[in-house]
Amino acid sequence: MPERARFRAARLLPVVLVSFALLLPACSLGGEPNSLLVLEWAGYEEEDFWTDFQTANPETAVDFEFGENDADILAKMQAGSQADIFHFYTGWQQFYVDEGLVQEIDTSKLTNWDKVPDSFKELGQVDGKQYYIPWDWGFTSILYNTEHVPEVTSWDVLFDEAYSGHISMWDDGPAAVTVSSYINGWDETAITDEQLAQIEQDWIAQKPLNLHYWDSEYENLCPEVMSGEIWVAYAWQGCYASALYGPVDEDGNYHPEDAPPVAYAEPEEGRNSWVGLYGISADSDSPELALEFLDDKLAELTCGNAVTLFYYGCANQEVMDAIEDPVLIEAFGIDDPSILESTNFTPPVTAEQRDDWTAMWTRVKSE
Amino acid sequence: MLGRRRAFRLLTLPPATWLALFFVAPLILVVAISFRPEAGPIDFGDPWTLSFAQYERIFATPSYLRLLGTSILIALTVAMAATILAYPIAYFLAFRARERATLYLILLLIPFAVSYLLRVMAWRLMLGQEGAINSFLMSVGLTSEPIDLLLYSQGAVIVTLVYVWIPFAALPIYAALQRIDRGHLEAGADLGAGPWSRFARITLPMALPGVLASFFMVFIPTVGEYVTPSLVGGTEGYMYGNLIQDFFGQAGAWAGGAALSVLMLVVTIVLVAVALRVIDVRRLAS
Repeated sequence: MPERARFRAARLLPVVLVSFALLLPACSLGGEPNSLLVLEWAGYEEEDFWTDFQTANPETAVDFEFGENDADILAKMQAGSQADIFHFYTGWQQFYVDEGLVQEIDTSKLTNWDKVPDSFKELGQVDGKQYYIPWDWGFTSILYNTEHVPEVTSWDVLFDEAYSGHISMWDDGPAAVTVSSYINGWDETAITDEQLAQIEQDWIAQKPLNLHYWDSEYENLCPEVMSGEIWVAYAWQGCYASALYGPVDEDGNYHPEDAPPVAYAEPEEGRNSWVGLYGISADSDSPELALEFLDDKLAELTCGNAVTLFYYGCANQEVMDAIEDPVLIEAFGIDDPSILESTNFTPPVTAEQRDDWTAMWTRVKSE
Repeated sequence: MLGRRRAFRLLTLPPATWLALFFVAPLILVVAISFRPEAGPIDFGDPWTLSFAQYERIFATPSYLRLLGTSILIALTVAMAATILAYPIAYFLAFRARERATLYLILLLIPFAVSYLLRVMAWRLMLGQEGAINSFLMSVGLTSEPIDLLLYSQGAVIVTLVYVWIPFAALPIYAALQRIDRGHLEAGADLGAGPWSRFARITLPMALPGVLASFFMVFIPTVGEYVTPSLVGGTEGYMYGNLIQDFFGQAGAWAGGAALSVLMLVVTIVLVAVALRVIDVRRLAS
């Protein structure tokens, strides 16, 4: 080899070796890639929400992409999201199965599965097969300021002009249909066109009563409940618990003495309840790792964090049974054995209902 | 050595490619999607059939069209207010600041160093029930209770957007004022024109291209604005941009959202074209 060529080769060799070393971890030399992408709701990327998996798999890169709501998450999955895992709520189970977006889960590989009550497990089943793992759950009801509002016994308080400017409804079409169904005594799974038109008119009339529609529980609902600007709100129990704990100072200490006077209604029409479900994408490159991630979501510490830090219920019953904090007992209605009897569980919706209800809501908002 | 034409082509190729890939192609895709029939999420595996269903749905929903009209009015108000308020700033920089012009220009641009979101959030603190304005009004005894309507209203959207746009709007006006040959003003003075006359007959007309550039620079993006209304607008400050966002996000109705976007684009282009046709900038400037 001529001297010049040898010199060039000698200079190139380290470059080639370094490039190879850099590329090696990125290449899959058989087996699953050591990374996960989770399609989540904003806020759920907090490490406390997957701490057991992180401890067990410190080398695994877990990335998150976010959906605004159930429709957005479904749309992202349909558009070819690369997510290995996706998170949505009850009512939307059928769509992912119908469109081949989710794979069946082998629950025999889950070490925490026996801690999940059967009623929760069933919510993750479609056509008798387990496609989803239930995880977070909670109630929806009316959160109200007792200083300004007497005892609330019905969802129709959201339409009470006496509280104009101090009401806040969740920014969600299906939720609006659910509330109207409760008030009117209609079957929300069989809403007719006439009923939907009536619902639309009712919510258009209700629109000026709102301070705003909230879209993020801990960003633009709870702070304004705490400050006393919102007196009546469609709310999840997490915000109720936050309000009971009171403001938190810079050192992380709660001040219940400064808490707003709030109550969480038990409407005569019943509360609503929702359950969050996780599915593994049919196209996931890392189904085993994804399964491990979901199993660790059900582990004691991670589930416990969901309950104690974010005030969500968790599908691990052992964690729920261990709750002793009176605020959480009150928020979850644990001391009320009849609470579930008067609770309406979110039923599945059809694609047509989903489209009609969200379209109705955009018309309400644009009026 | 490269010829001038070849060098020009070589230099314009990267930005042209960039624009073609990341501006023109997505725009074509949005237009194409707007002619799909799906009311909900799109299944891209389905065949592409030409449909006007989205446009029919939009034109059959008067509230969508009214909202577009409201958003155009808000954009007009914001653009006019921001341009009028930006003019004195630009005038000061061009004619009065002298050697300190650079310093003041940097000060003017300082808000850009702060996140847009933070600047808008600051207005929530200003306008909120316990915000600076309500606290001031209560402390001087003008009100005994906080005014609810400061935040979460159309007014809050307009005030916040005007604040956000003023520094942007000042820049084209400043550039136009700087280009004015001072000899024209001296000639005017020599011929007996007073300060107001010189301003009205020389400075303002010659700066008009910059003024119009500022106006449209604010007007066009404000029509489709959605971040500020979603943070400070509440239910009454909802704008057309929020509707598009809801179609793409909340409703997962990409085809409908694309049609709304195309409609807004067309209406905005038509409005700007008509305005430029009515206002003969070159004649005014000369």
